[in-house]
Order: sequence, then structure tokens, then C-alpha cells
Amino acid sequence: MALFDYLKSTLLSKVVMAVTGVILVLFLIGHCVGNMQVYIGQEVFNRYAHFLQGLGELLWIIRIVLFVCLVLHIITSIRLKWLNFQAKGQKYEVKNYVKAKLTGRTMIWTGVLVVAFLVYHLLHFTIGVIDADNFSKRNMEYYKGEVVIAEDKVLNGESNEIGKLERQAETIKVEGKELSKENDVVLFFRPDAYSMVVKSFRQPLYAISYIILVIFVGFHLSHAIQSAFQTLGLNHPKYNCFFRAVGPWLSTILVICYISIPITIWFGLVGGGV
Amino acid sequence: MKLTLHIWRQKNAQSKGHFEKFQMNDVSEDMSFLEMLDLLNERLISEGKDAIAFDHDCREGICGACSLTINGTPHGPEAATTTCQLHMRKFKDGDTLYIEPFRSRAFPVIKDLIVDRSAFDRIMAAGGFVSVRTGQPQDANAIPISKEKADLAMDAAACIGCGACVASCPNGAAMLFVSAKISQFAMLPQGQPERKRRALNMVNQMDKEGFGACTNHYECEAVCPKKISVRFIAQMNRDYLKARILKEKD
Ligand code: HEM
Ligand code: FES
Repeated sequence: MALFDYLKSTLLSKVVMAVTGVILVLFLIGHCVGNMQVYIGQEVFNRYAHFLQGLGELLWIIRIVLFVCLVLHIITSIRLKWLNFQAKGQKYEVKNYVKAKLTGRTMIWTGVLVVAFLVYHLLHFTIGVIDADNFSKRNMEYYKGEVVIAEDKVLNGESNEIGKLERQAETIKVEGKELSKENDVVLFFRPDAYSMVVKSFRQPLYAISYIILVIFVGFHLSHAIQSAFQTLGLNHPKYNCFFRAVGPWLSTILVICYISIPITIWFGLVGGGV
Repeated sequence: MKLTLHIWRQKNAQSKGHFEKFQMNDVSEDMSFLEMLDLLNERLISEGKDAIAFDHDCREGICGACSLTINGTPHGPEAATTTCQLHMRKFKDGDTLYIEPFRSRAFPVIKDLIVDRSAFDRIMAAGGFVSVRTGQPQDANAIPISKEKADLAMDAAACIGCGACVASCPNGAAMLFVSAKISQFAMLPQGQPERKRRALNMVNQMDKEGFGACTNHYECEAVCPKKISVRFIAQMNRDYLKARILKEKD
């Protein structure tokens, strides 16, 4: 297939690894910033989660882009790993690495752990198969919201469409609920993602497995980010201290932020009210 | 000095190969590594045995013929030094050394420690040159080149094509060599007319020879006897991408 012709070139394959990898890293940064809202509180966190769910087509576009990146990244990594294994040929009896670090030499294995984590994480918090009792769709909460009526759509304050508009003479109804005026404050339902996360991470098994797998994602990124710069041709003595350092630093910061959530919840510092 | 050597012996490309152990009791600190092997070979020859085959030529660190992976590091433990320039005083009395050929699928062993590095010659033939028409030599100062560019081009041109980069690479990649050979011209005005074509053809030949894909460990830069910088790999990536994606030939 012409689409996969790039696999015949080592350099183009590397560029595909780098571009898809960087897009995935940008997602991880965005996701991390979003998650940090758990420290602001239940209200903000749930509003954010609900906002993401309400993105509709945009959410699916993001999901598809990320999925395509991941698939290309994995296919290319397997092809390159096989090529490199072939190219190396016979191993040395004694091998002494001067500069190559373990994180760099284990990319394919930390990559496999990233996939394992991804599947586990989606089953846990997105699809709700793992720890199903706690899954947010079953944990609903009331929240106060202002109704905004735009033409025939009824939106809540987060611009999510929340129901069908029915106009009967003087009264306005949304899904059978009567509103007194067009900008009313009413109670709505939304998934209580905050409580779900808190209840899950209070169970040591979920907290520990999450922490360990996130650390492996960190190992992957610690080599990957500087590698992507170099692959994309970004190397200059003036800026190399940045290009080389940003990987370990960024991945350390990301790992600390991500794992701080299960740790603070586990130790009861966050989510005490749930 | 006393040394215990484990040296890779292999009759020819087809045979399997094995380590052979040698005890050296009379090594001088002032010998080069290759002279130490010469000493061993004299002994083997006088005993009527087959001498150990290893590559060498200039013995002054400029030709790139010598090779050897010594205790897991191509050209041995001393940075920025070829095996021929490595002195025995860099080792300790009583050391055990494993001496292996440069290993990579694209560098098949011919005999003992000698490998076939002609893949590099074919990569050079694919584009590692500038096409110059014969005729009157032009004035030496006709083409201005900045000092910085000239220095950088010289840094790339310092590559002696020994293949230590390939031998050290966990992926058997030849990108440091190929990038140095591309960059030495890419920095100079004389290299511009064939710049993208050169990158395209040399990288394609590199892929054809079965070298691996760089994963940016920079092990090559660390063992390179001429300290070729991996910045040339980034330079090659840029040139190749421009040639491939923009479909520009020059
Ligand atoms: C969230 C998921 C992931 C992110 C953010 C990510 C990020 C990256 C980045 C930025 C690179 C550097 C590209 C380059 O060297 O030019 C990379 C390389 C790599 N990734 Fe991933 N990756 C992810 C998942 C995976 C998975 C699932 C696998 C394999 C099963 C994998 C295997 C590899 C391999 C083998 C390399 C090449 C190693 C190297 O260049 O040194 N990655 N990754
Ligand atoms: S023999 Fe010429 S560089 Fe070592």
C-alpha cells in the first residue's frame, strides 16, 4: 500500500515515529493539565469532565487523530525494531555502552507497557469495565446550571446540549421539566467523575498499578522527547542543552503530576468529602 | 605487563568462529595496541600457528583501516583514539581483554578480526562526491566561505570511515558516517548543486546495505575516534526530508 511506503525508508520511518510521538506527548501534557483540576475540587473537575464529554464531534476527531498516531507509532516501531535487530547481527561477547542509556535501549519494552497501561486505563475510566461499580455513568450528581436557549437548542452553562426544547404557549419545557424563564437556574444531572476517581484510587491495587505503569510511560518519554528533536533535525550547539534536557525534565514533571493524584487520594489528602 | 587476551578467531565468512585465549607476559607499556598484536603474531608464526588477521594501514590514526572492539568498545577505552593510536599504558597489568571484530550484519567477518566494510564504499559511490568539470583551476579565493562554515565542513570531513559508529550502535546504524559524508559538502558552496540528490542517494544506498535506523543514543559520537558530532545526523535528516517531501532534487 502506498500509504505504508514510508516504512521502506529508515529516515522517513523515524520521522513518522517522531511526529506521531510528539502529537501523543502534546496530548499527555494537555491531559495532565486537565487532571490537575482534581486539586481545585469536585465541582471544577466534574465540570471539566462533563465539558469534554460534551465536545461531541470534536472529541471524536481528537480520539481518531490520537488513535491513528498510536497505530502508526506502533507499526513503525515494530518495523524499525525488527530492522535494527537484523542490522545488528551477531551480539558482542562483551558490550560496554559509553553513552547509550537503559531508557533508550528499552524503548520497545516501555512502549509495550504504555500500550498495556492505555488499555487498562481506558477500561478503567473511559469504558468502565474495571472497577465497574464506581464507574461515573452510574455515579451521577446534581449540579446547578443556567439554561441558555439558542434557537431550538437548550444548552447549559458549559454549552452542552442538554435536552429538547418544547414550547407550549407561555411555558417552556426541557425534557418535561418546566422552566419559569429562559435563563433559569435549575438542577441537572452529570456523571460524578471526581467521586469515581477518588473511590477507585482509595483501593491500593488500583493506585499502585496506576503509579507503576505511569512511571514506565515516564521512562519512555525521558528518551523519546530529545530523540524526536534530533530526528526532526533540531540540533544546534546553542540549543542542545534545552533539546537534551527537556525530555527528562518534562517526563519527570508529567510523572509526578500524574502519580500525585492516586498518592494524595490514597493517603486521604484529596477527596475526603466523598 | 601481563595480559589475558580472548581473541575472536574465525577461518572465513562461512565458518562459525570462537574465542581463543592467549596469555601475554611481555607487553611493554609503550607499545601501541596493534604492536601488542604484532608481538603475539610473531610468537604464533614462530610456533607454526596461524597469525591473527586484523586490519591496519597508516598506524597514525588517519586512514580508518584499523578496527577491533576491545572490551565492548570499538577502538578501545580511550576516547577520540583509533586502535592504532591506543597505547598499552591505558590498560592495567593483569587485565583481561576481549578483542572482537566490529559487529554488524552489513560488515560480515572475512577472517578473525577483519570485516568487510565495502558497504561504505558503495554508499560513497552513490553520492559522496562533488562533480567537478576539468579545465583551468579557478582562483583559490573566488568563492568566499566563512570561517565558521569552513570549520564545520572540516569537522565533518574529519571522518576516516572506520565504521566504529556502526560497530558501537545498538541498531547497527551507519547514520554518523553517512551524515558526515553528506554534511562535509552540504556546508560548502561546491556541495550545493548536488546537495539534495546526494542526501537522497546516499541514504537510499545506506538502507539497501541493511544498516539499521538510528534511535539517538549517541553511542556513535562517544566512540568516534574523530569526535564526529551527531549534529550532522540532524543535518542529514533535514536535507533528506527536504529532498523526499518537497521532491526537490537540488
Ligand atoms: C502515549 C504513548 C506514546 C508516546 C507519547 C510516545 C512518544 C514517543 C516519542 C516522542 C518518540 C521519539 C521519536 C523519535 O525517536 O524520533 C518515541 C519513540 C519510540 N516509541 Fe513511543 N510513544 C508512545 C507509545 C509507544 C508505544 C505504544 C510503543 C510500542 C509498542 C512505542 C515504541 C517506541 C519506540 C520503539 C520508539 C523509538 C525509540 C527511539 O527512537 O529511540 N511508543 N515515542
Ligand atoms: S591504521 Fe590507519 S587509522 Fe589506525
